[in-house]
Amino acid sequence: MADLQQPPVLDIRGYSLDYEAPNGTFHALKDINLSVPRGEILGLVGESGSGKTSLAWSIMRYLPKNARETAGTILLSGEDLMKKSVSEIETMRGKRISMVFQDPSTSLNPTLSLGTQLSEVLTRHRGLTRRQAWREGEAMLARVGLKTPAAMMQRMPHEASGGEKQRVVIAAAFACNPECILFDEPTTALDVITARQILDLFVELQAETGVASLYISHDLALVARTAQRVAVIRRGEIVEQGPVNAIFAQAQQAYTRELIAAVPDPRRRLVETRPDVSGDALVKVEEVSVHYGRTGFFSSLTGTRERVTGNRAVSLDIRRGEILGIVGESGSGKSTLAKAMTGLNRFEGRIWFDGRPITGLKDMDTAYRKDVQIIFQHPDASLNPRQKIREILSRPLKLYGSAAQLDQQIGDMLERVRLPRTHADRYPHQLSGGEKQRVAIARAFASRPRLVICDEITSALDVSVQASVIELLLDLQKQSDTAYLFITHDLNLIRQIAHRIAVMYRGDLIEIADAETIDSPDRAEYTRRLIQTVAPPAGATHPSS
Amino acid sequence: MTEFLKRLLRTPQGAIGLVLVLLVLIVVIFGPSLAPHDPESLKPLARYKGMSAAYWLGTDQYGRDIFSRLLIGARATVTMAVLATVVGTLAGAVIGTTSAFLGGRADEVIMRTIDAVMSIPSLLFALLIVNLLGSSTANALVAVAIAFAPGMARITRSVALSVRKQDYVSAAIARGESASYIVMREMLPNVIAPIIVEMTIRVSFAVMLFATLSFLGLGAQPPAAEWGLMVSEARRYMHLSAGILVWPSIAIALVAIGFNLLGDGLRDALNPRT
Repeated sequence: MADLQQPPVLDIRGYSLDYEAPNGTFHALKDINLSVPRGEILGLVGESGSGKTSLAWSIMRYLPKNARETAGTILLSGEDLMKKSVSEIETMRGKRISMVFQDPSTSLNPTLSLGTQLSEVLTRHRGLTRRQAWREGEAMLARVGLKTPAAMMQRMPHEASGGEKQRVVIAAAFACNPECILFDEPTTALDVITARQILDLFVELQAETGVASLYISHDLALVARTAQRVAVIRRGEIVEQGPVNAIFAQAQQAYTRELIAAVPDPRRRLVETRPDVSGDALVKVEEVSVHYGRTGFFSSLTGTRERVTGNRAVSLDIRRGEILGIVGESGSGKSTLAKAMTGLNRFEGRIWFDGRPITGLKDMDTAYRKDVQIIFQHPDASLNPRQKIREILSRPLKLYGSAAQLDQQIGDMLERVRLPRTHADRYPHQLSGGEKQRVAIARAFASRPRLVICDEITSALDVSVQASVIELLLDLQKQSDTAYLFITHDLNLIRQIAHRIAVMYRGDLIEIADAETIDSPDRAEYTRRLIQTVAPPAGATHPSS
Repeated sequence: MTEFLKRLLRTPQGAIGLVLVLLVLIVVIFGPSLAPHDPESLKPLARYKGMSAAYWLGTDQYGRDIFSRLLIGARATVTMAVLATVVGTLAGAVIGTTSAFLGGRADEVIMRTIDAVMSIPSLLFALLIVNLLGSSTANALVAVAIAFAPGMARITRSVALSVRKQDYVSAAIARGESASYIVMREMLPNVIAPIIVEMTIRVSFAVMLFATLSFLGLGAQPPAAEWGLMVSEARRYMHLSAGILVWPSIAIALVAIGFNLLGDGLRDALNPRT
């Protein structure tokens, strides 16, 4: 594989990068040493804010104005990129070094057809005529596994799915046979199954062309499967680097070990409690359907209705103190159900809560709201940026019960989620992502609810933070015997914590299975596919690697 | 607060705007005690005088000191403009945010009504209101405020629509908060930055709108020292002494420019990402 005789394609030596911020200098990267030889994939793993994307932009020579490069060199096949002029860099980008971004829907221009965007790279860097470039583009698209390349060339970005778009972006990156390609979280914005396919494609193309690849990701499990070597970056410094197996088998640094341990592993169950199955279910969802879109004035006259279905007749039940997981790809209707249950979406059908029928918004009175709480995915968005934590936490107290000794109660709430009492006087932006999510959890638990809906609450957090938030949730569950409806796309995580798992696909509920037996072969076909595609967790606990 | 001031002073627009607005404020507060002459004392022998040590900016057609009249008139002109803008802006902001929050049919009804009101030019609209209510300073204020509200409502609604989709609004709905709490406490504070910027810019429009109303004889009445009125009265005598017309015009322009620059500065200072 890696050819050790030649000099490395990408060689970064002692590279440091600072950002000039209004309140002083921020050291984004410190003394980075990395090298990627031809034919190798180097995984760069780090949490958010660790400087991994900054490094990618330094290599692409596209830095913001306040960036200062204080030391080091970046060499591409022995040539110093930092000494190149702007025009030299421009001819190099796309031809000798290219980049694949996280979100294909924003990295493609929505007003140009896919073919135009792909052939532009070819006409610019390989000097082909437009007709040659178009033909070559079709061949490229066939190579990245698109079934109808000729038709795909004509399509606009919005007419292609996320996976198809990412394939086009990858085709463009490989178009000029570059020496080096940077991948910045190329599968994070995609569904699990699509992500798996893209990853397979990437590994295949990489082996075929032998391009040196720097694969940036926050997902250790993913990197373990694709890369040959891994570098772990933390706060702008490379903590550890080495071959994948060595790192996962015997990490030298405590930080790396923490990172590996925080990756969810379905074999390590985190809940021991069993829900009470004897009594009635706490919540029964009966044939709940959700449709989106408003009927227009004219279509209501003519009687034609065009509606998008969010949920199709979903029925499930949640017992007291149970953790029910809902998994599915994006657009499978997981969040739609959560929104219907909290009165954010209109629905048809019926929800029974503790024996009481809920048929719509009007039945959701204060008592129901008090018992059913929701926590959202992004704590940045779910906490009002203009309110102090004190005001945010005081609202449920004022709405549902006693507002006596408010400060005392708010302090207690903060302590329950293991935050200092003094955080009450802060604004959300003064807290870290994990702390913000803890505040959101405290707010949800203020009313002592009987059901808490967790809508992807850890997917915006780093692995290590995710682990501590999950631990907190499970502790709270043990204390209060609250039932959770835990919505996530992370199968490994949900297999660790849920009692039962519901699988959804395109608005339909496929099946509900016990978490322990979800991987048995007699599950529904889609469930089996989902289980197969999820990256097996890497690490020391993985005996086969 | 000091942090905010520092950010504001870092941009030249913010710094100049702040200085100009502070200057105007000083004149508004201390103007009458600073004025060297009685603004209404007529001196038939000292008409159309140019600049001199006794009359810094000269005298007008009745021999009144222009500088004193400007100092005293600031109170009426600027206070009225700011008040009318604040009232109009707040009304518009609440309407716009409510409309965005309600959505659906209610939103349509509110916004189409606003469109209808907006299709009448604001000056014409103000004239109509003053005609209906009778010409007085208070009615002119109401007229300008109402004329400003629809435009503000539109701007606020467009900002509020994106806030409406934020999870904290969803969280508030799911918590069972009242509509008024969501509009006033959850949404309004998050749309306030563009509103403040728009408001400072509109203060200068208000100064000019008041001047126009006075000019047409529907706002302040002579011999009040309102700046717009001064310009309108000076029109007939400008061939005798340009100063009568120029100085009040410069005063109006300074206020307009000051608030405009302050608005630009605020826009940058209120956006934490710059």
